[in-house]
Amino acid sequence: MKPAVSCVTSDPSARSFLRSALKGFRLGFFPTAASVLKSPPRGLLVIDSTLPDMSGRDLISVLRGDKKTAALLIVLTGAGPYSPAAAALSLENGADEYFSFPPEAGLLRARLLNLLARTAVVSPPAQKPAEYCFGALRISPEARTATLGRERLKLTALEFDILLYFLKNQGRVVARTVLLEQVWRDGLEAGPRAVDKRIEKLRARLGKFGSKLRTVFGLGYIFKM
Amino acid sequence: MTRRPKVLVVDDEPDYLAIAARIAAKAGCSVLTAPDASEGIKQAEKENPSMILLDVGLPDMSGFEAARRMRKVPALARTPIIFFTVRSELDMVSEGLKLGAAGYVLKPFDPDDLLARIKAAVLLP
Repeated sequence: MKPAVSCVTSDPSARSFLRSALKGFRLGFFPTAASVLKSPPRGLLVIDSTLPDMSGRDLISVLRGDKKTAALLIVLTGAGPYSPAAAALSLENGADEYFSFPPEAGLLRARLLNLLARTAVVSPPAQKPAEYCFGALRISPEARTATLGRERLKLTALEFDILLYFLKNQGRVVARTVLLEQVWRDGLEAGPRAVDKRIEKLRARLGKFGSKLRTVFGLGYIFKM
Repeated sequence: MTRRPKVLVVDDEPDYLAIAARIAAKAGCSVLTAPDASEGIKQAEKENPSMILLDVGLPDMSGFEAARRMRKVPALARTPIIFFTVRSELDMVSEGLKLGAAGYVLKPFDPDDLLARIKAAVLLP
């Protein structure tokens, strides 16, 4: 039986590239996020990072959050030259594989076949990344540890939760009020100034990586590597 | 002189209201804001914006209901609406897009993505 792959893209040139690169596959096409969400396919999904109605990253978050679609195999394709940061971000966001577009056809075929073969043997549940690594900085959500080089960072439980929230939302502006709602243990009692103070401490503890946690003046913070 | 496209931002969360307004201004648009759905609908009827950025979890009614009411106003029947919200459940997103939204952006959002979507919705280069 031919391997089945569903592709979510509105770009005609991407469609024709995929048709030619994936000869021998049974291909289905969805032009928008809305069309995928209306009748989600099974198996393997190749998602364009820029869809007309939603970003590929947001679509992955939605699919990973629903029982029916959480176990889909998802490949995200990004525009422009390959960037390790974009690839890491996509994998941390829930993609199983990342390519910059257009990928090399042979490599794309091989990777897709590998993914399909692995899941034919076992169907692993969608997993969160075991560890976030940025050069010397390593953060393990499971063990709740952060290390810089060989030194283990002394973070309070709250600081670790804040760091984790930023790691899960890299490249997105996080408002102070959202941090208070989502991360603070006593959100209603603390205020925006408490957030600022805690972020200052977290930055100091992260050493040279502290500068990656940038202030968006008057609004909140963004973590971008 | 070409008039700048007008963007209406409706959100009860002041931080997000401010940042979305700033991004819309960066896209070259003039910006109107409203803190709830009723005020948003009133402003939309009065100002006839080029596009509307609409939170889903508003205090007085859902953003979806606000969008339905806006669509009933002939001048707003085809105005691009982008939902931006923390609500990422598949059924919610699906419902939002089914309402004919031009986009659905999850909070916290990527500012570059929102900027590109606003530009695309009001057809700016």
